[in-house]
Amino acid sequence: MKVFNHTSYSYLFFFLFTSLVFFTESCSKEPIREKKEDPDTTHNSITYTNGIFVVNEGNFNWGNATVSYIDQGTGKVEQDIFGKANQRALGDVAQSMRIFKQYGLVLLNNSNKVEVVNLKDFKSVKSISGFNSPRYLEVIDSTKAYVTNLQQDISVINLQTLTIEKTIKTPTWTEGMIRFDHFIFVTSVGEYYLSNAFRKAKIYIIDTDKDLIVDSIHTGKEPLGIAIDKKQKIWVMCTGGYDHFEAPSLMRIDPALHIVEKTYFFPSTGSVPSRLCMNQAGDILYYIRGGVYQMPVTSSELPSEPIINSEGRLFYGLSVDPKTGNLFVSDAIDYVQNGMVYQYNAQNGQQINSFTAGRIPGSFCFTSGSGKK
Amino acid sequence: MNAVCQNIKDTLKLPEFEIKSNYIIDNHGFKRVDLDSITLVPHITADLSTLLSEYSTIFVKSYGNGTLATPSFRGTTSQHTQVQWNGINLNSPMLGQIDLSQVPVAQFEKIEILYGASGIALTSGAFGGVINLVTIPNWNNRINLMMAQTIASFDNYTSNANIAVGNGNIQSHTKINYSSGLNDFPYFNDYLGESVCQKNAKFKQYDITQEFYWKLKDKHLFSARVWYRYDDRNLPPTTDSDQDKIEKQKDKILRALLEYKYIERKYNLMIHTSMSDQYMKYTNQNQVAEHHVYSWINRVRFTYTGIRNLSIKPGLDFNHDWAVSDGYDGIKTRNTASFFGEIAYDFSKKIKSTLVFREEIIDGKFMPLISTVGIEYKPFNKINFSISSNLARNFRFPTLNELYWDPGGNPELKPELDYILEGGVNFNIKSKNRQFFLETTFSGYYSWIYDMIVWVPMEDNSSLWSPENVNEVMTRGIELGLNMQWKILGFDLGFKNNYTLNHSTYEKSGSINDQKVGKQLIYAPVNAFNSVVSLEKWNVFLRYNFIFVGKRYTSTDNLFYMPAYTLSNIILGKNINLRYICLTLQVEIKNLFDLDYQSIRNRPMPGVNYAFTMKISFGKGNR
Repeated sequence: MKVFNHTSYSYLFFFLFTSLVFFTESCSKEPIREKKEDPDTTHNSITYTNGIFVVNEGNFNWGNATVSYIDQGTGKVEQDIFGKANQRALGDVAQSMRIFKQYGLVLLNNSNKVEVVNLKDFKSVKSISGFNSPRYLEVIDSTKAYVTNLQQDISVINLQTLTIEKTIKTPTWTEGMIRFDHFIFVTSVGEYYLSNAFRKAKIYIIDTDKDLIVDSIHTGKEPLGIAIDKKQKIWVMCTGGYDHFEAPSLMRIDPALHIVEKTYFFPSTGSVPSRLCMNQAGDILYYIRGGVYQMPVTSSELPSEPIINSEGRLFYGLSVDPKTGNLFVSDAIDYVQNGMVYQYNAQNGQQINSFTAGRIPGSFCFTSGSGKK
Repeated sequence: MNAVCQNIKDTLKLPEFEIKSNYIIDNHGFKRVDLDSITLVPHITADLSTLLSEYSTIFVKSYGNGTLATPSFRGTTSQHTQVQWNGINLNSPMLGQIDLSQVPVAQFEKIEILYGASGIALTSGAFGGVINLVTIPNWNNRINLMMAQTIASFDNYTSNANIAVGNGNIQSHTKINYSSGLNDFPYFNDYLGESVCQKNAKFKQYDITQEFYWKLKDKHLFSARVWYRYDDRNLPPTTDSDQDKIEKQKDKILRALLEYKYIERKYNLMIHTSMSDQYMKYTNQNQVAEHHVYSWINRVRFTYTGIRNLSIKPGLDFNHDWAVSDGYDGIKTRNTASFFGEIAYDFSKKIKSTLVFREEIIDGKFMPLISTVGIEYKPFNKINFSISSNLARNFRFPTLNELYWDPGGNPELKPELDYILEGGVNFNIKSKNRQFFLETTFSGYYSWIYDMIVWVPMEDNSSLWSPENVNEVMTRGIELGLNMQWKILGFDLGFKNNYTLNHSTYEKSGSINDQKVGKQLIYAPVNAFNSVVSLEKWNVFLRYNFIFVGKRYTSTDNLFYMPAYTLSNIILGKNINLRYICLTLQVEIKNLFDLDYQSIRNRPMPGVNYAFTMKISFGKGNR
């Protein structure tokens, strides 16, 4: 078939193709890494002194944890302040953040690190490694802090040298911490890898002078939230178990006597309560149970109506701003896109503002103080 | 040319220069692409993920070198891609997907890629398509021995041995492969800010396959096949997670099947029974999880071609799955019975049609009737030009994990439903002297998936995730193929290209703040292209493979993405013939331009790497 002279065509074709490929290939030498559509290059060289840090967990194993900063003065929000300041990722699953003097300490669960940054510019000062899935940090005094871990042990950090000085041995998942006198009350869920039927949920009481567990109090399953009120009573929120092992409960503990004074039971059906926190005055509790609920510490029963309705959103994180008393609530949406943060008036539940955050906004940290949780 | 060298697996008797069409139309109106043994031979020590990403438009989501790799077609998910080996579903009934890195190329002779609805003839749930791995006897073989050894970068080694013996009535085929490696390739870790070696990535795996075929009077065909796989591997950490984390996975998989075919002039009958036993053990620092799934698969197929222009193929399948898992509360089982029919009718020489329907009963419940109708039109007598189209409805039943995983599994899940419309054009031409062959194909598809299952945090308990029928996805796209073969000045030249454009978008919002509607599915590239140039003369062969993987979004709001990248791989080899013996020496260079890339976020991939293979084969056939 003499339709075309394929010999010359084919050579030409081959030549063109091969040279095109080699040309494009040898040019593109930039490493292939995740990028952002229209990257915001605006890096406001502000100091982080008057605002709210939003800790965005990021997806497990994706290494896309970030910190967003909401400036209280301007009302503007800046995304991924760590990435911009340090030209690298923050790490894998940011659980929480605490402030100590001029430092911010961000706990990275799956990286097993605590990233210490200077609050002036959010530049990394040190990455402390050697944790076992760190959860929360509590400053004990100017020299030391405790870090709870999901897998085992409580890590004791030397705040002067920024190293792990020692560990308080425990095989269990420890979570929230509250200070009472020279003791730390730590919620302990039980062994992480066991189901709730085999876990023993309790509160460890640690003598901070000796770094020793001195006593424990039994609680409902999964005591994840802990707070202290103005009358020095400790409140513990138990989810009842991710697997709905038992009815969720809210417990009031007398920290001096090491006894549970009162237990409020939630209905065993319906939403599971989470994210217990206290206002600065120490007289009102807040938590998420679908919507956001408000409960005076003097109340004899659980509130029946939320102060903020979820309205089709899935509320994920909650905190009270210690300075203004405003509520900050997050919506992680589908966990695979940027989340939202809402600011509400704590008295009437009216929305004041809303902000875009990063992937899975889970917790907040306020420059004005650590809050009462 | 010595046939031993040309085709070590010796499954097809090839003329000196055989014209091979990539695109084979079997059921009229559907798209099917075959990768034959000639394509597979230089990749004998590779796994299926390498092959599919280099030669097809299937997107392989690779989590690293030699670790988890899952396939997806046409913007659907890996659960919508079924991989079958001689009629056995290789997809895990628990996860509903397959790890291609667990399937060595050495274990089969041919790959059939059935696109879209054409998979309904084999199974339900394959919205994207079916990858069918075929082993076939060669009745002309008398004895064929092959041994190969590969030494590759990062202390990776693979050994292969094949023994095929038999005569015109009985054939036995034994295939063994063993691989081990440290896989500790260097890469730049952005998080640590330095070049490091991949940690905790060593592996050890082997496969043993034994096949027997027995033919009696050209009417009865018996076959028995057993495939055992052992895989012990460490799972490397992602770049940003704790590098000292130790995770391991051990798999032991046994698949066995018996098949009988009775062939008459106007009808034939096939009876198939098989079992698979999949054991998986996952270990980390403080946790061990074991999963064990047994499947028993039975198929009966009858074909009747006694009426002119008509063929009727009724069939009956019965499968039983039985799973014991640390993730389940008790033993979980599933019974699937399906009735199936395929009717092909030729209206004329130019217009041919196929109708396939399948009704499945799963655990006593009738599933939606699924069916597809395809039509093919060849308007010209002397020109190989055809237009085809098909329309289908398909469903995917939830996996055992989606139903029963404790905690979170949702026994109330409905099956996912899919409606597909597809059309294509195929044109090929060969020169009279058979020195040149050209084929072009075009296909376009449009599909809508309803009730797509996604794991989402539970409304009443955001710390617990559960699968729900929440997503709706629209996929549409085009696929282009160009295949050319020449014989010029004693050179055998080949040039195969595939391009795909796909838009798969979320069509249903999950909540009021959800920004994903109209956005592309994550990790579904919009554009993908691959090309293979092959050149052969003086028993020297050269293959150059070029892959382009387009941008993949990493967030459902499409604000983050992994940039597009291109890869080049090259194979250069020489066959040395000595009467019945063929010695092959081959060098493969992967990632020729040493691109520093990640296909999946935070999963490092190696830079330029090499593999040297020495292969010796001895063959005597009856020609």
